[in-house]
Amino acid sequence: MPKGVGKIKIRLPKTVNKGQVIAVKALITHPMETGFRKNKKTKKKIPAYYINDVSVYYGNELITHSDWTIAVSTNPFMTFYLKADKTAPLKIVWKDIKGGVYEKTVQITPQ
Amino acid sequence: MKEKDVTFSRREFLTKTGFASVALLSVGALGSVIPSGKGSVASWIAPRGAEAVEVKDVNEELKKTFGNRKIEMSHVTMKAPIIAENGGVVPININSDLPMEPGNYVKKIYLYVDKNFEPYVGSVDLTPANGKAAFALRIKMRKTSQVRAILETNKGKLYAAVKTVKVTIGGCGG
Repeated sequence: MPKGVGKIKIRLPKTVNKGQVIAVKALITHPMETGFRKNKKTKKKIPAYYINDVSVYYGNELITHSDWTIAVSTNPFMTFYLKADKTAPLKIVWKDIKGGVYEKTVQITPQ
Repeated sequence: MKEKDVTFSRREFLTKTGFASVALLSVGALGSVIPSGKGSVASWIAPRGAEAVEVKDVNEELKKTFGNRKIEMSHVTMKAPIIAENGGVVPININSDLPMEPGNYVKKIYLYVDKNFEPYVGSVDLTPANGKAAFALRIKMRKTSQVRAILETNKGKLYAAVKTVKVTIGGCGG
């Protein structure tokens, strides 16, 4: 894993009521190279390197899956919604085109 | 009088040689711009002599994905900046009032930027467990362009929202 890649932050609301629809914000550090950029010193093209697959699991269920291209910004930040109707772990998995897999799990405990 | 016939006055000299040099220059410039028959049009509009980057047409892309299905411009709202100073980070917020119940939900959200080399930015598959047909993502934009969000329900209906974002510095490099 290259340095500075794959640091994950997930933000949830402080309190979650049962059945409430909550916003989950997730950020991952990743260069998301397009393959169009050039190294200014060597004049060589920087090869493409980006995340193309994101999966969100709530409990054992795959609830959201996202397909990305090079047009997603550096250090991708996404927001999705979730109906918090059970106490279960929420797992987000990012996969990049060089085989890197980055994941983080947070616990959802509705009151 | 005799002398004047032989030598040019200063003004005359400048205008004549000036025109001549401009004419020479323009011939040279044209010669370098117009390819000498062999090269195709694409080869000389390619950026900075690099291999041509194919710019895909958004309408063709949409036709490939959706065919001739009708897309309704309703039920979807998109929040995006009017002017994005940095095309590398443009926050796009898609929201919808469509229901998210088992049997009647939004299956997929597609995102397109018309003037990017590759107009398809990404898509997200949703399920009723999301509770709300909404998604937000930060994207890259090469230049000022329309951004399209297209929602597909599990019954196959399509809804869309379009917004123009002005970009002052492009974010795709190259």
